[in-house]
Amino acid sequence: MRRTVILLIVFGFVELVRPLGSSGYGSQALLAFGFLILAAYTVGEIAHAIHAPAIVGYMAAGVIFGPAGLQSVSNEALARLEPVSGLAIALIAFLAGSELRWEQVREEWGGLLKIMGTELALSAVGLGIVMYFASGYIPFLQNSPTSEVVAVALLFASVAIVHSPAVTIALLSETRAKGPVARTTLGVVLLADIVVVLLFTGTMASVRAFAPTAGTGGTSFALIGWDIVGALIVGAILGAGIALYLRFVAEELFLFAIVATFLGAEVARIAHVETLLTLITAGFVTENFSHRPRSQALRNAMERSAAPVFVVFFALAGAKIDVGTVVRLMPILIPLALVRLGAIWAGTHIGGTWARAPKTEVRYVWMGLVSQSGVAIGLAMIVAETFPTFGAGLRSLLLALIALNETVGAVLFRRALVAAGEVAVGGADIPVPEAEEHPA
Amino acid sequence: MSSSLILVLIVIGGYVAARLAVDFIARRFLVVAGAEYLLLGILLGPRASGLMSSNVVDSFGPFITLAIGWMGAVIGAELYLPSLLRIRGVVYQTALLEALLTTATVSGVMYAILIFLLDVSPPVALAPSVILGAIAATTSSSGVAVAVRRLAREGAARTPVLQQVRVAAGTDGIVAILVFSLLLCMTHPAPPAGIRPPTPTEWAVITIAIGVIAGILYHLFLGSERDPDRLFIALAAAITLASGTAIYARLSPLLPTMLIGAILVNTSQNRTAIATALHRVQRPLYLVLLIFAGAAWRPSARASVWLILVYVIIRLGAKLGSARIATRLGGRVDELGLNWGRALMGHGSLAVAIALNYRILDSSALPNLVFTAALVSVFLTDVLSARFVRNAVQGHPFQQQRAIGSAR
Repeated sequence: MRRTVILLIVFGFVELVRPLGSSGYGSQALLAFGFLILAAYTVGEIAHAIHAPAIVGYMAAGVIFGPAGLQSVSNEALARLEPVSGLAIALIAFLAGSELRWEQVREEWGGLLKIMGTELALSAVGLGIVMYFASGYIPFLQNSPTSEVVAVALLFASVAIVHSPAVTIALLSETRAKGPVARTTLGVVLLADIVVVLLFTGTMASVRAFAPTAGTGGTSFALIGWDIVGALIVGAILGAGIALYLRFVAEELFLFAIVATFLGAEVARIAHVETLLTLITAGFVTENFSHRPRSQALRNAMERSAAPVFVVFFALAGAKIDVGTVVRLMPILIPLALVRLGAIWAGTHIGGTWARAPKTEVRYVWMGLVSQSGVAIGLAMIVAETFPTFGAGLRSLLLALIALNETVGAVLFRRALVAAGEVAVGGADIPVPEAEEHPA
Repeated sequence: MSSSLILVLIVIGGYVAARLAVDFIARRFLVVAGAEYLLLGILLGPRASGLMSSNVVDSFGPFITLAIGWMGAVIGAELYLPSLLRIRGVVYQTALLEALLTTATVSGVMYAILIFLLDVSPPVALAPSVILGAIAATTSSSGVAVAVRRLAREGAARTPVLQQVRVAAGTDGIVAILVFSLLLCMTHPAPPAGIRPPTPTEWAVITIAIGVIAGILYHLFLGSERDPDRLFIALAAAITLASGTAIYARLSPLLPTMLIGAILVNTSQNRTAIATALHRVQRPLYLVLLIFAGAAWRPSARASVWLILVYVIIRLGAKLGSARIATRLGGRVDELGLNWGRALMGHGSLAVAIALNYRILDSSALPNLVFTAALVSVFLTDVLSARFVRNAVQGHPFQQQRAIGSAR
């Protein structure tokens, strides 16, 4: 009841004010930001009350109040709030990196590679084949030559296999889950994030050989190398700087957390290196080269400052979902999503068994690999810009699939964490192992 | 250079400067930080080095608005009724009279100057002169805070003069915010949509309603939770929503957010946590506000050096004169002396916030004149504001007798 009242007041308030003013000096962005924090957080609570992840609620709020819904948040405001998304991704990446301890990485490295390798390979092959044979049912491919269908199938597979560090970290932060499933899922997602960037760039370079492109500028392997190696270097320098700050100053951590991540994202952008990888490395270096209580204090400060940013980030992601397109493409989306789901499940089981991972991990990790968001969206945009003949159609299909996976993936991962008994007391749920959940 | 990177570098530079130098200097030499950030903003801005272009300055509009709104909330959070009720009514009377007299005097003189010396038409001259009066009423709160800390160490924190100065500084801020916000309601342009333009009274009600509704939303949103993260989200959301709404409706964010601060501090069980959260964010936002205020400065076609200096002198004279009149009318000459008004001469952050708020509203009359006058006044007086307070308190006969007594 309280939540409904909040939503009604916030919505009524914004609707009453709307005819009284006009945009200018960023007023719409600020209004939208304040509105989205309250509205999305409240819808997140409603989602949580029905045992769905809060981030699904945030996205739902974005859909409901965004340009495709009630239009309380305009396209102009969305564009002006873009830096919030950048900051959120940077915070997510830093937090992800700071979750990794060197001892764990060294110990689990082989297992993670095996799980990731098999699930990525199965997903890429499965999705590519299905896309090729289903081309007759896809509107923008119906009269295309075989070479173009192959190109689309390859590109589609290289983007559709991407996971979502954002959703993974946000859910781990929301549920405060700790345990082997949470750790392995995060490890696979982060490792895959590096691998898919390489795979995607390689695919792009190959597809350019037989599909018409919009520009002459290519992506050379030297650039890809710099993208990855440069990110490691920049991230390490940033992490070392943060570790020094924690060692000698360690004050105003709340402000420092925001400034450091913002700086990292900006430097990565200017240096043309992978932002996510830069911040993951920075987080990793900070965590492993600082005194544990101080790095823990920074992580706490970062989680505190990230809370409103995450809410708005996922609400903005929801606001950008084109519900009409998702519904229109549903007949082709569902088979594709099911194939992806099946490939991830099979790949994780094979890889997990190969790596001799504990049964709990084999059983639940796949559920954390379904979600997709920021990185996949970015790659879909690059495809659309590079290939004018089929790019726009492929982008719509990919964005619709990402929207579906983002929602379903978050629900699945939360279920996995609860079922594995890794959700902390005081987090989103009290741990309920599966055996207790289903006593029969 | 990227605008985001500029902001990050500014905050880092400002923080390091504040941490390494300014805090030390403030403690050691009793001077207040602020003016140097204004100068830095001017130097970085499009009028000097051009490192920050006009587009960059405009793109930080939401941060500037939020900084203005946050300042309002911090001022409102000082209005904790049980503490206020412990102070005698006559102290408020004196403070209110001083604030109103200063506003009226400066407004009147500036109105006359604008009409008779600058040939501005009376209807156009009214709003800028009243706003200059409201700005003149404000007193540097950071100067008072620095002086209070120093005087507390010297055992002079409980003197009647210092209490009067603290109450007067707070009252000055409230009067300035009220006058400024209500004036914006009276001179509000018609909204763009095809609806009946609200009357000034209706705009005033809307301004107050924004603050009250945001305060209610905070309570509803927070519920019975005590989690600090949730408290911060609720607080940030309420202030952001109120600031965004106010500036969207071409009103001042200061009054609605001041109401939020006052509502929350008086109705919430987390009073201390709210005050802590407000102050934690205020510092970086204040820094951003000062730097972008400097960067947003544009020379006024009508503002000559003599006019700005006249404004500064009139303000100082009005402050001293109003304090004397208020003291005499309240029959408190023996208690306060006649020169305690010297403590109010420092001009600080609220003056910048009001002037910047006026400057960013596209329907304002003579915005650059008002903005330049406020910046120059702050630049000339803020740095010494803590010294003004200390000298006024130590110059009081009671303090001098105490000093003689302790020497004996």
